[in-house]
Amino acid sequence: MSHTNSLNVDYNYSVVRLFALTTVLWGIVGMAVGVLIAAQLYWPALNFDTPWLTYSRLRPLHTNAVIFAFGTSALFATSYYIVQRTCQVRLFAEKLAMFTFWGWQAVIISAVVTLPLGLTSSKEYAELEWPIDILITLVWISYAIVFFGTLVKRKTSHIYVANWFLGGFILTVAALHIVNSMAIPVSAFKSYSIYAGAVDAMIQWWYGHNAVGFLLTAGFLGMMYYFVPKQAGRPVYSYRLSVVHFWALIALYIWAGPHHLHYTALPDWTQSLGMVMSVVLFVPSWGGMINGIMTLSGAWHKLKTDPILRFLIVSLSFYGMSTFEGPMMAIKSVNALSHYTDWTIGHVHSGALGWVAMISIGAIYHLIPVLYNQGRMYSISLINTHFWLHTIGVVLYIVAMWISGITQGMMWRAVNTDGTLTYSFVQSLEASMPFYLMRFIGGVFVVSGMLLMAYNVYKTVRAKEQTLQPVPEAA
Amino acid sequence: MEYSTIHSIFTVVLFVGFISFVIWAYSKKRKTDFDKAANLVFDDEQTAQQKTKQESDHE
Repeated sequence: MSHTNSLNVDYNYSVVRLFALTTVLWGIVGMAVGVLIAAQLYWPALNFDTPWLTYSRLRPLHTNAVIFAFGTSALFATSYYIVQRTCQVRLFAEKLAMFTFWGWQAVIISAVVTLPLGLTSSKEYAELEWPIDILITLVWISYAIVFFGTLVKRKTSHIYVANWFLGGFILTVAALHIVNSMAIPVSAFKSYSIYAGAVDAMIQWWYGHNAVGFLLTAGFLGMMYYFVPKQAGRPVYSYRLSVVHFWALIALYIWAGPHHLHYTALPDWTQSLGMVMSVVLFVPSWGGMINGIMTLSGAWHKLKTDPILRFLIVSLSFYGMSTFEGPMMAIKSVNALSHYTDWTIGHVHSGALGWVAMISIGAIYHLIPVLYNQGRMYSISLINTHFWLHTIGVVLYIVAMWISGITQGMMWRAVNTDGTLTYSFVQSLEASMPFYLMRFIGGVFVVSGMLLMAYNVYKTVRAKEQTLQPVPEAA
Repeated sequence: MEYSTIHSIFTVVLFVGFISFVIWAYSKKRKTDFDKAANLVFDDEQTAQQKTKQESDHE
């Protein structure tokens, strides 16, 4: 089963298959929880007066599920695939690779159980309590051993750029997780961070923003540098730009965290430094985006017929949009308006649903037929429908949050001539309500698309081998 | 040496290092190697020719 007809290398696809399938499963679960909590903000009765169905407990479940279950499963699947194919060698330490799969599923299940129970370290995107943190560390170190072990025994002389991004992502996430999760346990499910006060906040957002920078950006850029050229059938636009892109991106991202702490107890100079580094970050981000999109130069017509390529390229457009928006929002005066409003939520989702989800979905649609010995997915037109459902959903979502966020920011800062606040908080909440409904509808579009994907994947996996013939390319 | 002097020197070293790295990446000497590297994603695919050859080998 693990045989492929490429270069006679016997690749290990079993672990890749498992991660690829769980990507779809956890995508549906994580996004469905997102839709539920979006609905709760519009119809508060939907928490059914049950503690473990409250927004406060389901929101971290949603973020953990989409980032660490959906997104990270996609990264495991694609990195194990890319490192084998570009090093032309079978995976190193295959049993350890299998351990990373089951270990990671155990982490996800633990999150699904503990978060609704209210067990949390209260650190955003690092809510899981210390026993789970230890399991994450074990899985992650095994992941690094498998990945770098495979790089070491490669048959090619050069390490393809996608692997640089993936390697950078794996190493940095290990450092981030271990440093930020340092805590003193007081019982089996309760611990306190070893950091205090402003230092704790800074460590938390050094972690938080670099989870964005290295997990949700560098990792998925690795995915981009393999699947965009592969699906487009032409090498990356500029390889030298990709090399400069890598070093510039990783050197700058690590400094951007303080922009989450503007106008707080964090020292002023640290805030300003974080702001400047965030603005500079625009340059390598757009360098990478241009490199990905320009890979299609001379082959733009392929976008008309290939919805998988469209997923990949539109994901890059969303990436460009959010990496323009992000540096802008990191400017202190803009942040004074945007922080704590729905604008931030909109920004995160243009990155998460636009960039991360779309590149992953495109990559999975590319992968599934290869992994199951088929020429193509079961239905190309369903991929096309999925593309439109997803795109419409994301646009509805982010437009709703822009309007709601800027409205909130303007209403909160409005003062009367005597210095009193013009609006109460509830008035701003009322103004946001229509947009909460719009966001919910956008979310429903996205989840419907994911369900179509699950059906399409199921039909492809169950089809008899090599019965799905590739579409002949239009000349 | 003062702390800020060390930091200033370090900043200049990083800057010079980055510029030389960019010059290295964009030098003509690297072109052929990078072109080869860019094609690594396709290297493990069989061309149509190889496929037919392999099939005829089986006969």
